Amino acid sequence: MRQLTSIRDFNLLRDRLQKQDEDGAVTIVIPAGTCGLASGAGRLIDAAQRAILAHRLAGRVRLRITGCHGFCQMEPSILVTPARTFYPNVSPRDVERIVQAAAQGQVVASLLPVDPVTGQTVERQDDLRFFVNQVRGVLRGNEDVDPTRIEDYVAHDGYGALVRALSRGDPAWVVEQIKIAQLRGRGGGGFATGRKWEMFAKQTNAHGKFLVCNADEGDPGAYMDRSVLEGNPHAIIEGMLIAAFGTGATRGVIYVRSEYPLAIKHAQIALRQARGLGLLGENILGTGIRFDIDIVRGAGAFVCGEETALIKSIEGRMGEPRQRPPYPIAKGIFGAPTCINNVETLANVPFILRHGAEAFAALGVEGNTGTKIFSLVGKIRNTGLVEVPLGTPLKDVVYEIGGGPLGKTRVKAVQTGGPSGGCIPASQFDLPISYDSLAKVGSIMGSGGMIVMDENTCMVDVARYFMNFLKDESCGKCLTCRKGTQRMYEILEDITLGKGTPEHLDLLEELARVVKDTTMCGLGQSAPNPVLSTLRYFRDEYRRHIEDKRCDAFVCKSLVGAPCQAACPVDTEPWRYVALIEKGQYEEAYQIIRSANPFPAVSARVCDRKCEHRCSLGTSGGEAIAVRAMKRFVTDNVDPAAYHPAVRTGTNGQAKKVAVVGAGPAGLTAAHGLSLLGHKVTVLEAEQEPGGMLACSLPAYRLPRRIVRDEIQTLLNENIRLRHGVVLGKDVNLRELFAEGFQAVFLALGAHESWRLDLDGEDLEGVHPSMQFLKAFNLRGEELARGRVGIVGGGNSAVDAARVALRQKDVTGVTLLYRRTRDEMPAYEEEVEAALEEGVTIETLVSPVKIHVRQEEIEAALREGVALETLVSPVRIFAREGRVVGLRCVRNRLGELDASGRRKPVVVPGTEFTLPLDTLIVAIGERPQSDSLAAMGLEVDKAGRVRVDPKTLATSMTGVFAGGDLVTGPNTVIDAIAAGKKAVQVIDRYLRGEPLAVAARAKLPTALLEPAVVSEEELSSATRAVAPVLPVKGRKKNFNEVERSLSEEQARAEARRCLRCDLAFTRDGPAAAGAPQAARGEHQA
Amino acid sequence: MDDQTVEKIVAEHQGSLGGMLSILSEVQEKYGYLPQDALRRVAVATGVSLADIYGVATFYRAYSLKPRGKHLVSACLGTACHVRGAPRIADELCRHLGIQPGETTADNEFTLETVNCLGGCALGPIVVVDGRCYSNVQKGKVAEILRRTRAGLGEPRAEHGFPLTIRCPHCRQSLMDPAHPIEGVPSIQLTVCWNGSRQTLHLSSLHGRQQVSGGPEIPAGSIVGLACPLCRRDLTDDAICPECGADLARVRVEEGATLTICTRRGCRGGRLDLDIPGVEAADRPSQE
Repeated sequence: MRQLTSIRDFNLLRDRLQKQDEDGAVTIVIPAGTCGLASGAGRLIDAAQRAILAHRLAGRVRLRITGCHGFCQMEPSILVTPARTFYPNVSPRDVERIVQAAAQGQVVASLLPVDPVTGQTVERQDDLRFFVNQVRGVLRGNEDVDPTRIEDYVAHDGYGALVRALSRGDPAWVVEQIKIAQLRGRGGGGFATGRKWEMFAKQTNAHGKFLVCNADEGDPGAYMDRSVLEGNPHAIIEGMLIAAFGTGATRGVIYVRSEYPLAIKHAQIALRQARGLGLLGENILGTGIRFDIDIVRGAGAFVCGEETALIKSIEGRMGEPRQRPPYPIAKGIFGAPTCINNVETLANVPFILRHGAEAFAALGVEGNTGTKIFSLVGKIRNTGLVEVPLGTPLKDVVYEIGGGPLGKTRVKAVQTGGPSGGCIPASQFDLPISYDSLAKVGSIMGSGGMIVMDENTCMVDVARYFMNFLKDESCGKCLTCRKGTQRMYEILEDITLGKGTPEHLDLLEELARVVKDTTMCGLGQSAPNPVLSTLRYFRDEYRRHIEDKRCDAFVCKSLVGAPCQAACPVDTEPWRYVALIEKGQYEEAYQIIRSANPFPAVSARVCDRKCEHRCSLGTSGGEAIAVRAMKRFVTDNVDPAAYHPAVRTGTNGQAKKVAVVGAGPAGLTAAHGLSLLGHKVTVLEAEQEPGGMLACSLPAYRLPRRIVRDEIQTLLNENIRLRHGVVLGKDVNLRELFAEGFQAVFLALGAHESWRLDLDGEDLEGVHPSMQFLKAFNLRGEELARGRVGIVGGGNSAVDAARVALRQKDVTGVTLLYRRTRDEMPAYEEEVEAALEEGVTIETLVSPVKIHVRQEEIEAALREGVALETLVSPVRIFAREGRVVGLRCVRNRLGELDASGRRKPVVVPGTEFTLPLDTLIVAIGERPQSDSLAAMGLEVDKAGRVRVDPKTLATSMTGVFAGGDLVTGPNTVIDAIAAGKKAVQVIDRYLRGEPLAVAARAKLPTALLEPAVVSEEELSSATRAVAPVLPVKGRKKNFNEVERSLSEEQARAEARRCLRCDLAFTRDGPAAAGAPQAARGEHQA
Repeated sequence: MDDQTVEKIVAEHQGSLGGMLSILSEVQEKYGYLPQDALRRVAVATGVSLADIYGVATFYRAYSLKPRGKHLVSACLGTACHVRGAPRIADELCRHLGIQPGETTADNEFTLETVNCLGGCALGPIVVVDGRCYSNVQKGKVAEILRRTRAGLGEPRAEHGFPLTIRCPHCRQSLMDPAHPIEGVPSIQLTVCWNGSRQTLHLSSLHGRQQVSGGPEIPAGSIVGLACPLCRRDLTDDAICPECGADLARVRVEEGATLTICTRRGCRGGRLDLDIPGVEAADRPSQE
């Protein structure tokens, strides 16, 4: 292209290019920034070129290769304009269809994205949830232009803002516009750009003045500067030109990190093109203005983001910051006045002049105007670059645009501002995002990184990570920064290694304060932020690491050991029995299982498999080991007699009388354990047979009665006495028990009372609370359901009730009614949620009770013929002659997000409908029947749960302990067994007069079992073992056990897939498993 | 190591912005690391003390004072990658290669390094091998990435490419030469003018490959003239290569597009341009 020598020349060129661009031709746009190329955009480009040529569409269908559009999660993607059809995650083989359809003005419906909330396909990119809530000022340019073609940029009014400014000929006007716009520096500090320019414009220097574009985007987790420089470099150049005109700068520098090769390349191309067109150099567009830009590549030093360090780096020296004043504005590069602006700041400048300073100031909120780009990354569904007006609430970004957490986890925090920022907990997500609000909660805006963290992110590890980063990146000039970051890192490292002490937390805080107060530059002053903010909001996590030696996120290896073992509430060593199965040593495997868990055969059927959810194979992209099926294989094939627990004798009068109330899994486990220690235990059970939930709630097709009875038999011995039909609070009370000579009482009554719908007619004939319905059948064989059965609820007991009803002989159909979507069904028990809504704080042993997903149970129910109606709520029960005949329901839609990021069901008016019913089962959750306990003086919360000290299970009454569902609300069998085991320890200590709590230790693998030799091929081709199940036909109207045992061949093959995480602790020694080696490595000679 | 290399690099960058950083970057590009001898020469040539140069060389992460292997594996440990399990990926790389970050394998094949952030945060964990970026890396994929690198499959776009049919934009005659196939397809024949001589050169017609056979020995970086072997007319016009600034040659793609070829030896700055049909290009004396 010819060099332009006047503004008129430029306008002619622009008009011509705009006319060419406005023909409305179909354009295939392929984003190919660094992220797009990493996802395979290169292959899409080839495929598109090929298709356009093969179908002779050149000239009719255009191809535009652009930078990143921001929806990186969906890359490689294709955008077809002008229709703006968006195709996510495109495979090269689909490109031809897309090109052909686009040429005919059509879409390929099967390749369109689906809205996760409505389930509908979305055609236009702008209608996607990710984009709807964004305001794209800067990023829009990345869609419109091919960064390697200045023609594209000019055709989209590029350099138009510059030309407007030049035509006015008044530099002060430019500065004034930026001041009116109230633009603040996007690099993190938030200093008013207009004021900076004003000060800079006043500086004079015979050798010229420098304008620096800071593209040393050092914050790990932020990449908007990379994206803009890669995708729209001319916008930066135009911003710099406008700044130069406004302030009188004569030389420009783009200081860019060497880690961004594509950004450097595109910037180089853009500079060459701008120079070629006469937009850079001497006498720009004939105005007599002189300005040119050089690229300086950084060499990897975080501190060079600090302006005085950056200047030294541009001068070719070590990037050590220096004391200010003098500020760079007065004395910068080689002593000349230097103005430093961030990439995004400069990219906003043409936007402001193009759309007007007032329009820019109208975006956002007072003092925080315009839009800001955030890189929304980490544990979130929609990762990418997000541009929103400042002042947007954080929760809109995380849940609406970001689509919420990955899978069924919960978002725990968002980390903003990089290593200088802090972690903001989910409870603060109503916060409007602004420079000031973020500072108020202990973080900073920084360059706009937003790293989302969920339950699988350890906050102590995050703090350690940042401190490791900062101690490496500290330039070393200030002692407090150099040594302070190092010492803070060491303390954090100790905590993650399980060597933390309570005093460490005070020391950390003190160190953090000193470093903040006594260092010279921003790096040191903000270095303590990650520590201070995590201590402020996540102190409990620190304490779990220090006091309980637990990392609940399963990140800190030295505390986790083998994840399967750490996940197990009863401390089973799954890796160990899996290894024994591989060797064919089934009896030994049984002993390992049984020594940890008194209910192996029961658990082999109904355990919720926390071990499998944490299996390293599963969490690293493979399929978890089928641990429960392996346990089933062992318990099906080994005689329980293989394990003989010894009963302690000769206790020297140490043996005491203990009462256990409730013969469920918690109570029986406690009774069994205490009896082995020689104590005389009496178990009081309200029902006529032992088992608790195992007997009265769990259906026989999942857990055959024989298994329960036989397993309970193995637990009884001469030290245990079972008394049936005794109800605490009615037949006996706590005072009487102590009077009878019992020295300790363990309460394990479970949670047997169903929550009510609170509708009129709930006591009619034909309406049953689910617990009552299940008990009637399981304990007494009564079939309460008949005809058409409706079940309200979505938790485990609702699904159980549905499948039991289906098996009753007078039942013709079963409908499950749930107020949210299927996807959300079994994640949390309704009861827990109800309690949360009432404002009850959950005080369980670990964290809020989360019942692991039982999708397979729902699947089974659907296969068996249960109908599922989601997004409905019951509003009225209809009756005739005292018996239920129907249920009036109303449809819901998913509405606003609540604080936990779940969408609340909202009634849709006018959608009421009536379901004719003969039986209605209310299964919206259970609660403990604890009114009588409260009357006896025990502390009970609003949801009926007995309050205990989680470390000792001690209630508010001396000598009375409680555990299981009575304390947690409805929970899993394995958690009840765990509570029973804990009760054994604390009650024994209580009876001996010892302190109840003992120091915790991390549970790490100790026994060394040689691993099998498994080839890489076998490992990569093997798939998870699946247990055979009874076909639907053969199980519908009976209670035959549905799931069967693995074959020996299957079990042994499955065992060979195990990654044997234990070996890192046994064979390789704890040193190898301890510290994360990679993070410790030296980076240089 | 010849003195001239270092001196040439120094001469090019001394006094310019970034100065020593650019010098060291280029020296490292040349040798794969910063050899002591080279640094001594830099000191002599620039007049900066060796101690100061050592300071710069060790202050920045990008420089290495130790020789590096044939392949450079960079595991990103940025925050986003970290929370998505990057430490496990780094450990897995260590395990497979038998080295720690910052080290090179005994066979000199691989150097492993950890980096703070590569800006691919949405797609973490990220591993970059010889400039090729792998996204969403999981533990199980590590062995495969290293295997591919060893087998030389890491080269971007090396697996694909499709054949183009090329004509001279002036005489409209086919430039395809079935007698000289490259990679199994007819090649494009062009006349290359260099140092006063004219010779025929064959270029792969597979788009994206740029394989060349025949023609004179031309040092990389030299600029040549390109002409039609049939009508002998010059193929360059006043368009410049976006990547290196040299002139571009322009030929017509039969299906209705133009292909530009950079006249600088070794530059990949040419491109297939679908928006500029080949027919018009022939009629236009120059492109504005």
